[in-house]
Amino acid sequence: MTIAIGVDVGSLCTKTVILDGGNNILSYDIMRSGHYYKGAAEESINNALKTAGLRKEDVGYILGTGYGRGAISSADGQVTEITCHARGATRLFPRVHTVIDIGGQDSKVIGIGDNGRVTNFVMNDKCAAGTGRFLEVMASALSVDIGEMGDLFFASDKNVEVSSMCTVFAESEVISLFAQGHKKADIAAGIADSIARRVVGMVGQVGLKEEVIMSGGVAKNAGVAHAIGKRIGTKLLIADEPQIVGALGAAIIASERI
Amino acid sequence: MEKVLTEIAEITADPYGYVAGLKERKEKKVIGCFPMHIPDEIIHAADLIPVVIWRGNEPVTWGHAHVPPYDCGITRSFVDDAVRGKLGFMDGMVFHVRQCLQAGEFPFIMERHVKPSYQKVLYLPALYPGDVMRDFTITELEGFKTSLEEFTGKKISDDNLNKSIEIYNKNRGLLERVYEIRREKPEILKAREVMQIVWSSMFMLKEDHNKLLTELIKGMEAKTVEPEKDKIRVIPVGCLCQTLQFDILDLIEDLGMIIPDDDLYIGSRYFANQVNLDGSPLGALADRYLTRTPVCPTKGVWQVHWGDEAIKKMRDNDARGIISIIVKYCPPHACYYPDFKSKMEKEGINAIMIEMEHEIITLEAIKTRLQSFVEIIGGV
Repeated sequence: MTIAIGVDVGSLCTKTVILDGGNNILSYDIMRSGHYYKGAAEESINNALKTAGLRKEDVGYILGTGYGRGAISSADGQVTEITCHARGATRLFPRVHTVIDIGGQDSKVIGIGDNGRVTNFVMNDKCAAGTGRFLEVMASALSVDIGEMGDLFFASDKNVEVSSMCTVFAESEVISLFAQGHKKADIAAGIADSIARRVVGMVGQVGLKEEVIMSGGVAKNAGVAHAIGKRIGTKLLIADEPQIVGALGAAIIASERI
Repeated sequence: MEKVLTEIAEITADPYGYVAGLKERKEKKVIGCFPMHIPDEIIHAADLIPVVIWRGNEPVTWGHAHVPPYDCGITRSFVDDAVRGKLGFMDGMVFHVRQCLQAGEFPFIMERHVKPSYQKVLYLPALYPGDVMRDFTITELEGFKTSLEEFTGKKISDDNLNKSIEIYNKNRGLLERVYEIRREKPEILKAREVMQIVWSSMFMLKEDHNKLLTELIKGMEAKTVEPEKDKIRVIPVGCLCQTLQFDILDLIEDLGMIIPDDDLYIGSRYFANQVNLDGSPLGALADRYLTRTPVCPTKGVWQVHWGDEAIKKMRDNDARGIISIIVKYCPPHACYYPDFKSKMEKEGINAIMIEMEHEIITLEAIKTRLQSFVEIIGGV
């Protein structure tokens, strides 16, 4: 019963991480949350258990996090994604002091003390501009697959400014830039930089302290990660699977509660 | 005690209906005062009903033709209520236009679109470096008194004024006693109940409110409560001149925190400091206005730092954190907040800022912030 599970039910994706008694990752799962968070959480847990060759009876504690943390019926407890991202980040990169997490519909910057605990944080409040959903809408406006957007950034040779921070208005702006004859790559780079400018403002509120990790699905977009790193003037650490940092943190806290 | 709390909850659920009914029952004129500093004892002494203007709960509609969407909630809500005719029971209005930039808009809008029978604009000093400001304040209050005398056709004697101040002092004393009991046993009242108790004082006749408070205090003194020692004590702080959405207060409590005291206008700030009855009544009212604490971002008091006061309140109540509540688009509070935040950081105080708006209340996001705050304090 030393198996611990962390489940991060986000607005776009649900992530599960399973740890053994020595806090080694046995398996993880990432799937779309859809509209039924409760079902997504259970499915993701079952997927991860299957991969690890475990049964639910083997599990000592399940901890939920993310916006849907209250909807996980099999969870023994819940902790916010702020705390979980900090814990996950320090496990992956012990010298980390700042986390930039950009998920499906929110973005946050978290300050971490030398003891690995959260000292302060800021979150976007009501607009989802600059998040994963924003990138999806922009990819659709550019008529490219979201996976291609990061590569497009590096093909840019001209600065195009996407000034709007509202997803809907930014979409109109992209269409208008197309009409003006700008290249897809330049517009993609402009979009990445618009996200970076937004993040820089949040980093300023928390206070930049190295090392800096970027987590969340948007960290997979190399263009955005590069733009943020350039704006804040430091290299961003990115995990092999940046989407599971929150779930990993949740699993670590779960293991402490067994 | 429960009966009084239910009555207060009903009164605060519909302040419009309550004040309109009060006017009819008492056959007196109603004067609306914009929060937070107008000495409504003078209105009371003129045999009128003073009420502190409040933020309604409806979305702003026609009001946006008169004030921009980047004004604060109470500004937009009040203008909306006024131009839609919802404040028809108010015979007069008083504004202190040096309080904030937005308050300066009201007299023009009201004069043009609402046309109350009586309107008075006060210019109370925002900075008061010396005695000259005391004299200036007294002159302003004398002008205020004279304008009310002209409106009613009746003189306001010092005797009338002293009697009104006495009633108001009694109200302040009773509210202080409610807070004192709450500090001893914070579980006795929900935070929303405390806010309703103070808010009801702002638009009820003080004589009626004093009766309610006297009965409430008897019940509170007699009631024993089980201390909830696992709860995290926190102090909400903010100069916001309007009621919070009660859901935010509920959320704070639902997440395992408890509020033994506060530093809010619709809270302890409203009844802080009595009016000294030894000298001239207007001089005494001016002195209360010019008192340096509680510190307020709408009055420049450089000698006292708001952060120090808040930290003292936190420590006096064995609290473990401070929750700053800011109303979006409140310039005075927004200007003061960076200093406040720096002080919290310098002193190593657990502090968080929550921003509230009139229409949109992103409770889920606020919940995540507050829960994270609890986790930080709790060392998760």
